[in-house]
Amino acid sequence: MAVVDGVRRVRAGRIALYLTLGAISVVMIVPFVWMLLTSVKTPADIAAFPVRILPTKWAFGNYADALQAAPFATYARNSFVIAASHTVLNVVIASMAGYALARLRFRGSQLIFLGFVGALMIPTYTKILPEFLIVRFMPLFGGNDITGQGGTGWLDTWWALIIPGAVSPFSVFLFRQFYLDLPVELEEAARLDGLGELGIYARIMTPLVKPAFITVALLTFEGSWNNFLWPLLVTKSDSLRVIQVGLSVFRTENDTQWAFLMAGTTLATVPMVVLFLIGQRYFVQGFATAGIK
Amino acid sequence: MEYTRRSVLSALGLGAFAAATGCSAAPSGDGQAAADGPAEGEITLLTPIYEGSTGKQLLEGKLLPAFKQKNPNVTVKVDYTTYAALNEKLTTGLAGGLMPDVVMLGVGWIPPFAHKKVLAALPDDLGQRFDYEDRVLEPCRYDGKLYALPLILDTRIVTYRKDMFAEAGIKQPPKDWTELRAMARELTRADGSGKLTRVGFDPFSIDLRQCWETFLFANDGTLFDESGQQVKFNDDRGVEALQLFLDVIKDKSGDYSFKSAAGQPSTLAQGRSAMMMANNSLWVQLQEQTPELLKEDKVGAFMLANRVPAMFQGGTLVSRSATTKHAAAAQALVEFLGTPDTILPTAAQRGAVPGVQDLQTSDYVENNGFVKLALGNMDKARSEGGTPAWMEIREKIKTTLETAVVGQRTAKEAIDELANQSKEAISRL
Repeated sequence: MAVVDGVRRVRAGRIALYLTLGAISVVMIVPFVWMLLTSVKTPADIAAFPVRILPTKWAFGNYADALQAAPFATYARNSFVIAASHTVLNVVIASMAGYALARLRFRGSQLIFLGFVGALMIPTYTKILPEFLIVRFMPLFGGNDITGQGGTGWLDTWWALIIPGAVSPFSVFLFRQFYLDLPVELEEAARLDGLGELGIYARIMTPLVKPAFITVALLTFEGSWNNFLWPLLVTKSDSLRVIQVGLSVFRTENDTQWAFLMAGTTLATVPMVVLFLIGQRYFVQGFATAGIK
Repeated sequence: MEYTRRSVLSALGLGAFAAATGCSAAPSGDGQAAADGPAEGEITLLTPIYEGSTGKQLLEGKLLPAFKQKNPNVTVKVDYTTYAALNEKLTTGLAGGLMPDVVMLGVGWIPPFAHKKVLAALPDDLGQRFDYEDRVLEPCRYDGKLYALPLILDTRIVTYRKDMFAEAGIKQPPKDWTELRAMARELTRADGSGKLTRVGFDPFSIDLRQCWETFLFANDGTLFDESGQQVKFNDDRGVEALQLFLDVIKDKSGDYSFKSAAGQPSTLAQGRSAMMMANNSLWVQLQEQTPELLKEDKVGAFMLANRVPAMFQGGTLVSRSATTKHAAAAQALVEFLGTPDTILPTAAQRGAVPGVQDLQTSDYVENNGFVKLALGNMDKARSEGGTPAWMEIREKIKTTLETAVVGQRTAKEAIDELANQSKEAISRL
């Protein structure tokens, strides 16, 4: 009898869990569904009140019109180049830094780590102006002399779009936490076998922290892909603008072309959704292991 | 104190301004690059109003080629931005000593930037080339000098549903706030459960700062004194303007939750409000979303009035940098952008008001009821700003007034708080 009660209790718990998760899923997915439906509505359907969930006339042409409104192929290519560059650089450099902070003993390592933790606390917007000045006064670039005067530095170049966002303190922190959890015996055995520090990092330790790589890669790619303000500030050529800046053409001071904006946003969201679907198992695992879920 | 992206950047910008004006990036004293000599060279134009696809086509496909024809030795490189990021673009550009040669700024922005000596004064006769109302040129001036030319204007007016007025037997728009409130109550509708289905008056679907300023102006109030050093809005007229919003919420003829975001279908078009504060560009939105309302003549507009009739005037002004290396070319572009030939298509692509009276009889103005009303009453237009501390103050108005609208403070407390913040900002100049 007690066993049956227990099974019933477990089943009821499961049902409650699924219902809760189902409700949360609906809440999460509604904005995406709304975006998709709005992207194929006519202006009249968008303005209708009471609100119509489904369009009376499916305006699939919104996608073609939205794509014609701006050079989205160029914007998408730029966003991809920047996001992919950030991802590769961040994964390689931050993992090395994280490994060094976690596994190597050297004077000042704790202080450096505290520096990274401190950097996490600095609000993004307070860094924009100093970063802009560093980029603008970069010596020997864009006509600047050795003192950084006379030209425009990295402004309106790929350097400005890629280098300042290449490594994030959060990624270093995340990698450090992962490398910290690995058993010291592995490292010692590899060292006894004559492997150098780079070999231990690359061939022994790194394959064991794949979830961290996937997590950092996805977060970095997503952050870069969605970045709006920095690319807008450091570029003025249309050929260097990114997809989020491109989307802003549908939203002016006086009006918003909702159907086009939603169509463009749907297209801009696709790469992120695909990436998440591919890496979601590692992604969740990454957060769980890092203890920051 | 609330830290927003803009407030942080504004604070940083103040330091950057100081650095920029203290170093070599800005001229000292009144010195600025003279605009004599031949118009030649490559110049940069920073614009927040041609960023849309039709805007780009207009600027690069029509306007700039026409400019090039007149000035073959000048090449214009366009830097598109949005109003939301314009201040950041200017702040970072200034800090880096890279002010664009020609800039488009909002109404109220001239005093802060002219005060920092980053804008060049224009010849005063440029303000007399066309038929401008004095009120239109007011926001272009600072310290007695002309720093910009008006390109397009945006006014805030009261729009209303003629069919709902007729149904309620109302024949004339309200002459003052007492009538406005009485009509709002009469036009409000609720369902059987008492839930509002239509508000008589929706003042909340436009930016709260601009809406309150419209009410302040209609109450014969003003933001600052002529020198821009004294706060003037914290008298009874400013408090009454904010109190009116609380009163319509209290008697349920208005509801803060009814407000629609910019670009969303308006409560007026949806039949959820009988009167609504609106930007004149609402006409274009109605043409796209609910053209039948215009065809059937169901929508009208009037100017807000209490002690005086008044409308809020925002818009975009064009100015040139004081540090440009190609002053003659930059000034030529400013002069070109300030002509009716440029103003009219620019206004038409945004549903805005062209700032020159010479365009009253144009087809665009004749066929846009809201723009026609606005352009015909520019003598009653009032601009925001008027102090060099405006960029800091403007960011605080909405968030401070909102505390009263949501019931956290009384209207007087909110206005007093805003006045204190403004005085602090002015004292830092």
